[in-house]
Amino acid sequence: MTHWFHRNPLKATAPVSFSLYGVAASTGANKICNDLKATRARLLELLTDVTANAEMLKNATDAYFSLLQGFIISLDGTTQENKLRFIQNFKWTDTLQGNTPSAQQDAVFELVSMEFNVALWYTKFGSRMSGKEDMTENEAKEVHGSLKTAAGIFRHLKDSYIPRLITPAEKGRDLEARVIDSYIIQCQAEAQEVTIARAVELKHNASLVAALAYETANFYQKSDHTLTSLEPDYTAKWRKYLQLKQCFYMAYAYCYHGQTLLASDKCGESIRSLQEAEKFFGKAEDLCKEYRQTKGPGNIAKPSEQLFFRKLGSLIRNTLEKCQRENGFIYFQKVPPEAPQLELKANYGLVEPIPFEFPALHPQWSPEVYASFDLTKGPKDDKEASIQQVAKLEATDMTKQKAP
Amino acid sequence: PAIPEGVPSDTKTNREGVLVDEFGLPQIPAT
Repeated sequence: MTHWFHRNPLKATAPVSFSLYGVAASTGANKICNDLKATRARLLELLTDVTANAEMLKNATDAYFSLLQGFIISLDGTTQENKLRFIQNFKWTDTLQGNTPSAQQDAVFELVSMEFNVALWYTKFGSRMSGKEDMTENEAKEVHGSLKTAAGIFRHLKDSYIPRLITPAEKGRDLEARVIDSYIIQCQAEAQEVTIARAVELKHNASLVAALAYETANFYQKSDHTLTSLEPDYTAKWRKYLQLKQCFYMAYAYCYHGQTLLASDKCGESIRSLQEAEKFFGKAEDLCKEYRQTKGPGNIAKPSEQLFFRKLGSLIRNTLEKCQRENGFIYFQKVPPEAPQLELKANYGLVEPIPFEFPALHPQWSPEVYASFDLTKGPKDDKEASIQQVAKLEATDMTKQKAP
Repeated sequence: PAIPEGVPSDTKTNREGVLVDEFGLPQIPAT
């Protein structure tokens, strides 16, 4: 098994010192700030470390998030917003928009941005591992799991934390619904690619492979369509990838559907199905060229020269030749002018994201330590910004309450 | 709680009650 996946770059961020001089008025509070700085730096370091594995990343993520949650969840037993939520400014770039950062003085913004990056890491980790030609079953499981984990993280952000942001994401930014939806569906489709390869390897029924390939092509189409209304400047390359994968898996579906038809002695229809597979394969080849020539975020690759691509090409050719031979000797059936309708429903192998769970709050956080953060003594600028954010949040809440 | 029977494995069942592996594929190849 070997795969190839397009990847957008990681998000970049400015260092955060968590130096809350004056505010962190106790040893416990100071220790939390120092540990936040250190665990954040450690996590960022791991994200770009090619030797890191999933366990290392999970430990580093849990270490940082268990502390950061003390800036977000209620720690004083009231329903009021955490007093520390708006104390620190965070800057993040987006995966599609180069080096232009967004900044928000909001710990929820930090949490969603960092978690987004962790999800991207899982997609990149899965991609790195899946490129190997001699992938073992356990490695395939790990790739499959990484992509499902990434999908689960993206979904968790979308459902639980992005709605809590006060400043909504602008068009084309990572936290915007269209972009995040596209990432979720892409991860599911890619995990299904791993399953399809395994189904082929284990010689599962051709109808099972055809149905899963067809649904995977539909996932890629949905992911691509989600990005339609965004600027081509930064989405064109990503969309070419999604389109080429859609055509590739349509070719896959027609190829295996052709095999199913042949097995039930429908040789003429089988030939037509394989001709359709050839057509989609040709389209996918053209899109591979266009992908290479399109500028934008992502890697420079020649997908049509990858093993997974070439293998399908020869399978389609060989199967078509076999069907034509058998039709000439045995069946003598007419080849219908219309391609068969693919109305295939996959009963096996459809991917659901793995639900993401936050780590428990770090034991360093106690009501006493929380109380020892004294906001009246913060740096003037930060304090004012923090007050403004609280006022804005309260205004948003009021609007929500008034809504029917 | 009762003592669990058997050992943990990758075995699961799908909605139709068919035994599937970690990838959601049927345990016994159909061909």
